[in-house]
Amino acid sequence: MKKLFIYSALSLSLASCSMDVVNPNITENSFVGTSQSSEIWLAGMKKQLANTLNQAVVFAEIVSDNYYNNSSLTNKVFDGPVLLYSDVDIDNTQRAIARLREMGTYGIERIVPADKGATATAKAEMLFIKAYAHILSGELFVALPMAANTEAVSPAVHFNEAIKLINEAITTQTDATLKNGYQLALLRCYYNLGNRTEALRIANSIIQSSSLMVRNAVFDGLNGASNLQQSYTFSNSTNVLAPLPRLDFLDPKYYHVGNVNTDQKPLAILKSEEAFLVAAEAYLGNNQLEQARTTLKALINDVIAKRPTAMVDAKLQLRKGIRADYPVASATRVQADAQSAAQSKLVLGRLEGNVKVNTVSGTSVTIAELDKAETVDQLLYLLSLIRQQVFMSEGRRMTDLGIRFPVSQIEKLNNKKIDDAFTKAVLPAYIPTGIAMDDFTYDKANNLVVIKHDMNKVLVANKTAPNVFPMLK
Amino acid sequence: MKKKMAKKICLLLVVLSPVSIFAQTKISGKIIEANSKKSIQGVTVSVVGNTAHTISNINGEFIITLANNVDVKQQLLKFTSVGYESKEQSLKDIDVSKLFIVELREDLVKLDEVVVTGQGLSVSKRRLSTNVTTISAEQIKGLPVNRIDQLLQSQVPNAQIKMAGGQAGGGSIIQTRGFNSAFANSTPIIYVDGVRVDNLNTAATLGMSLSGGTAQGTATSSLADIPVENIEKIEFINGGAATTLYGSDAANGVLQIFTKKSGSGKANIGVQADMGLEKGTGDFFYFKRTKELLFRDAFTQRYSVTADGGNSDFGFSAAASYAANNGYIIHDNNKSDKFDFRAGFHAKISNKVTYESSITYGRQTLTRNRNGNSGGYSALWFLENGASKVIGGGFNYKLDSASTEEYARIRSFVDSAEMLQNNASLVNRFQTSQVIKYQALKNLLFKATAGIDYRAQTEQSIVTNAFNRLIKSASTGSISKFDRNYWGITLELTGQHEAKVGDFSFLTTAGTQLFKNTDRQVAYSGQDLLDGGLTVGLGATRNANEYYAEIVSSGVYLQENIGYKNRYFLDLGIRGDNNSAFGSTIGTQWYPKVGVSYILSSEPFFQNWDQNILTTVKFRANYGVAGNFPPPFVNETTLTPGGFDGKQAIGFGQSGNTDIKPEKSYSKEIGFDFGLFRNRVLLTATYFNNQTKDALFIVPPASSTGQDSYYRNIGVIENKGFEFAVMASVIETKDFDLKIRASANTVDNLVVSSGGAASFNLSGMSTRTIQTVVKEGYPVGYISGYYGYFNADGTYKSSDPQAFLGSTISKLTGSFGLNIRYKRLSFFANADYQQGGYFANWNKQFRFNYGASTEGVPAAEVAKNGTLNWLNFSQLFVDKSDFLKIRTMGINYTFDKANLGNAFKRLSVGISAVNPFNFTASDADPEAIMPGGAQGQGSATTGGVAYAQFSAPRQFIATIKVNF
Repeated sequence: MKKLFIYSALSLSLASCSMDVVNPNITENSFVGTSQSSEIWLAGMKKQLANTLNQAVVFAEIVSDNYYNNSSLTNKVFDGPVLLYSDVDIDNTQRAIARLREMGTYGIERIVPADKGATATAKAEMLFIKAYAHILSGELFVALPMAANTEAVSPAVHFNEAIKLINEAITTQTDATLKNGYQLALLRCYYNLGNRTEALRIANSIIQSSSLMVRNAVFDGLNGASNLQQSYTFSNSTNVLAPLPRLDFLDPKYYHVGNVNTDQKPLAILKSEEAFLVAAEAYLGNNQLEQARTTLKALINDVIAKRPTAMVDAKLQLRKGIRADYPVASATRVQADAQSAAQSKLVLGRLEGNVKVNTVSGTSVTIAELDKAETVDQLLYLLSLIRQQVFMSEGRRMTDLGIRFPVSQIEKLNNKKIDDAFTKAVLPAYIPTGIAMDDFTYDKANNLVVIKHDMNKVLVANKTAPNVFPMLK
Repeated sequence: MKKKMAKKICLLLVVLSPVSIFAQTKISGKIIEANSKKSIQGVTVSVVGNTAHTISNINGEFIITLANNVDVKQQLLKFTSVGYESKEQSLKDIDVSKLFIVELREDLVKLDEVVVTGQGLSVSKRRLSTNVTTISAEQIKGLPVNRIDQLLQSQVPNAQIKMAGGQAGGGSIIQTRGFNSAFANSTPIIYVDGVRVDNLNTAATLGMSLSGGTAQGTATSSLADIPVENIEKIEFINGGAATTLYGSDAANGVLQIFTKKSGSGKANIGVQADMGLEKGTGDFFYFKRTKELLFRDAFTQRYSVTADGGNSDFGFSAAASYAANNGYIIHDNNKSDKFDFRAGFHAKISNKVTYESSITYGRQTLTRNRNGNSGGYSALWFLENGASKVIGGGFNYKLDSASTEEYARIRSFVDSAEMLQNNASLVNRFQTSQVIKYQALKNLLFKATAGIDYRAQTEQSIVTNAFNRLIKSASTGSISKFDRNYWGITLELTGQHEAKVGDFSFLTTAGTQLFKNTDRQVAYSGQDLLDGGLTVGLGATRNANEYYAEIVSSGVYLQENIGYKNRYFLDLGIRGDNNSAFGSTIGTQWYPKVGVSYILSSEPFFQNWDQNILTTVKFRANYGVAGNFPPPFVNETTLTPGGFDGKQAIGFGQSGNTDIKPEKSYSKEIGFDFGLFRNRVLLTATYFNNQTKDALFIVPPASSTGQDSYYRNIGVIENKGFEFAVMASVIETKDFDLKIRASANTVDNLVVSSGGAASFNLSGMSTRTIQTVVKEGYPVGYISGYYGYFNADGTYKSSDPQAFLGSTISKLTGSFGLNIRYKRLSFFANADYQQGGYFANWNKQFRFNYGASTEGVPAAEVAKNGTLNWLNFSQLFVDKSDFLKIRTMGINYTFDKANLGNAFKRLSVGISAVNPFNFTASDADPEAIMPGGAQGQGSATTGGVAYAQFSAPRQFIATIKVNF
């Protein structure tokens, strides 16, 4: 019996020494340098791009006048807009963009050099996606670090870094289509920097060569990367986001038929429409009214009119959320503000059958309206409206309104290099608060909606303000 | 590793093989209570210096056998039972050929009660510097509940157990001495017969997400399916010095369940039937009509059979039960079915070796309706929070004022929505413990324990097309299934040596323990499912995910308890731990303890005093360390692979922390135990001060890193307070007993330091709404939200973001109980209370948001701004969480042979009530809160956010029990 106890004691002691456990995880060391590692990493970056857009696009749309969060899901104060540095969604957005950028750095510096089979295409794509992270940094935030735990720098520094990366991507890339797309990213950087000459040069080049180009970010509902803007505007049963009634006809841009997980629509991160818009704005900046008009007409006739549309069953888009008085009848007429004339066809009859939606771009602005514009401001107003409508559901409007997120509190607490000034959002004085940008009255008996503020009118009135219409400066 | 395990199992089998037969002397006796002369069942009768023991039967009778080669007159028998003074009886003057009567006295002070503290082996409470709460089978046998945490509600004086929400099998929040950790759930670790068992009391990483995000919602708790059959006693110790020898995850205390392994004499069979009514608790609903829309009277039933018998050579005890409840929510949406079986036996292999075994199997099935923020439709969010305004096309959300037609529409919708749900959970659980005791010398005992806990859980949630159409969702039908398989093995070897040198006594305990557990979770789902499909394979597309964690922990421990003159005791101990979850730079972790115990009443001078008033006096003080180890693999930097757009994809995973180590709770306590009026009153008081250093905080690094939150040992958390308990036997006569007990515990909890990190949340929603938060300078899990200021006219003026809105930790908690016996009629009642804490009534805030009520908001503000500022004055929706709740009460009548003749040994009938009365400071139920933590599986939470959860239901149960 004593022997048994000795055996027991021994076996227990032996077992005690063994800390071996089955580790199911993949570590850096086991992955870097493996076959196909750069392709796999690039796919991971594209997934992260989808996840980053799920923060950046949804929140920017809520902040702007495009959408009102009509539910208890997602951010409930950005509509205000209340943009506090302590808001976790600001941190989420900043972190998602930083992750995309850091994945780019890691891919370019560690994965590609170690992968013998790495292609030029993959490396160029990594450069481009990293550049896109810098573009988002510059467009959405007052300032952000360029790398982990560094000081926050101005948007201009981010745009210049993006230009550097894109140029390297253009040099590296061997795929002509992808290379063309990079031009649009370059255009966006020069636009944001207010470099009219370069912007106009690139814009015209795109207008000449690739007027129907679209660079999409894709989503994957089966792998935890659903298109959140699609979910919030269409797929979710609570109809989370409600569009401003004058933009109702542009919603939804993304929708599913049948299985939601396998039908996740892509989101355009770059498209040729932008070249026309930038060129027109640059012409207005040069006081070339007619060139601007011609460019905008070409945009409507040659681009938007050629973009695909779809018939969507939108009967479940009842828009009955916290605010239950959204119009859903086609007879509704909308005034852009109390002074404007009522306009029809902006609200779709969702209960009356399938509705026609634009899956890339749409606009309510007509050639006749463009022809009627007599002054720079009148044309600028129409340009601003087309720009809002073309980029609907793509997360661009907040930037166009001149609003910027602050650096997050968590960044500030962990990173002593952050200047206090950057912890305050940029919320220009012309931006109405108290959810007024999304507000309207609805006289149901007369089918008339009157929107409280026409933000395009407000922008034109404040066209000299910083961060607004960079091509006019 | 597998080979090693196989070897160990073989070794055990060898050890467990043949039992030898010895020539024997039989000794028969009967044990009665000294005062009432009633027989005492379940008394352990053992031979001192020998592993032989037996248990008294229902009539207090026992038979113990001694080998023929021992001198009977030299033997000493020891009688021990929870709640009675233990007694040693020499056989010198006993005529062993006759039945001899042993009288035991009820003992509230329990100074010489033997408990299993530290690890593995027993020690008398006299020697301990810490408190051990022991709960006897007698104490819990009349309680009409069948899950372990609910059973202990209001039974453990210094632990507060709250059932978070009223759904079958849901989680609970257990608090002892505040909250030591901001990362680990406060549920104590649980041992059944020396074997660690799964104690996950939150949702699993991959689990059914029917509520407010997977982690925080009502999940199936693994405490809900630990069988409560055949329990001999339960011991509870809270963290600090008491749990030092349990090592790296014992900071929240240790709960030990000991099962019966023997009866006495020929088989004793008991049959019990409980039947009754279950009613949903609607007291806390805002709308009167909610109750009639959701509740129905449910029938609850439970049948159990027990059998035990044996003598000191061999004994057995087995129990089986079946419980069924069709659920108080309409359409069987809170149904439960539970089958438990447990068998234990002990066998004397030789004069020096005893073998004990217990085997348990349990099977539980549950159904559950959508709750909390499941999205789409969930009953209470829809009805009570005003969301009926937006769901299913919109209804009149002011339920009580809805017209007959409107109400009929709502009723029809709710009825369909509940009918169309199909959410279920199934658990199969097997546990076993195998113990060999080897009495090497009269004063040297070894004990080897080996055992496993295997728990397999499958959850299923089906969302049909019909349900989606009803709630006007564009989604197609889907089925989601979640499997969680927990497997844990415990191996332990302990030796205990007792020595006496003059006035000194030495009790030395040393041992080594190994436990390993694996937790494998698989989520699989099918989408585009046609209605009627019940398997994932029927979905047009299918998806799967897996989670795996494994922990190996090994420890060695040594404890020396030195006594002098049986009244001065010094307790020293240390444990060293290695754990696979520790960082690569962290070596063995050491946990020391030191304690003193002084029995003043054993001093000769004290004995000369009049002891009618002050009878027993014990002082105790100790210092000790216990820990909580980090989750598996968090020390590693990983990459996360997966698919994307039809390709393989990979990205950053977790930022590993190679320095990760357990957080350690350093505890100091001082206290006394007074036995008054000849020990008819026990008064216990303790002051404790616990400081958790290197507290593990899951905090985010700078956003610019792009990395997720990770574990860091950066916090310091302090808990201090007093614990008082009083037990009194007010009346003790042959026919009439009256016993009362009460406890009061204070706690002052503070996050002393967060190491400069940002605050983070344990529960709740976003920073802009309501969260319970960990932040330096505040208590763990305080309510954080916007504090609003108002103008003189009552309109909103301004607000402070993320303000302190109240602590969720009650300053004062406690329980009390009452037991009355008049002849054969007995009555009991148990209650819990808490005072001095707060909870966020998110239901009320939501109601305001949706316009379903304006309660608590200044009328001028409502008139001016409507619900616009609903998040700007969250303090208006924070309520006091004070309550007094009667948990159980009942009345019981026992017939014995005098009434029954020889047909039965005993028959008892009773009626009892569960949760009959609730008194709360708020209109809402402070216990109907989100039970899980926001940080995921097993994470810390203090509760504190009431959000669309049901209150625990009421039950009224009739019981009949017969012993043959």
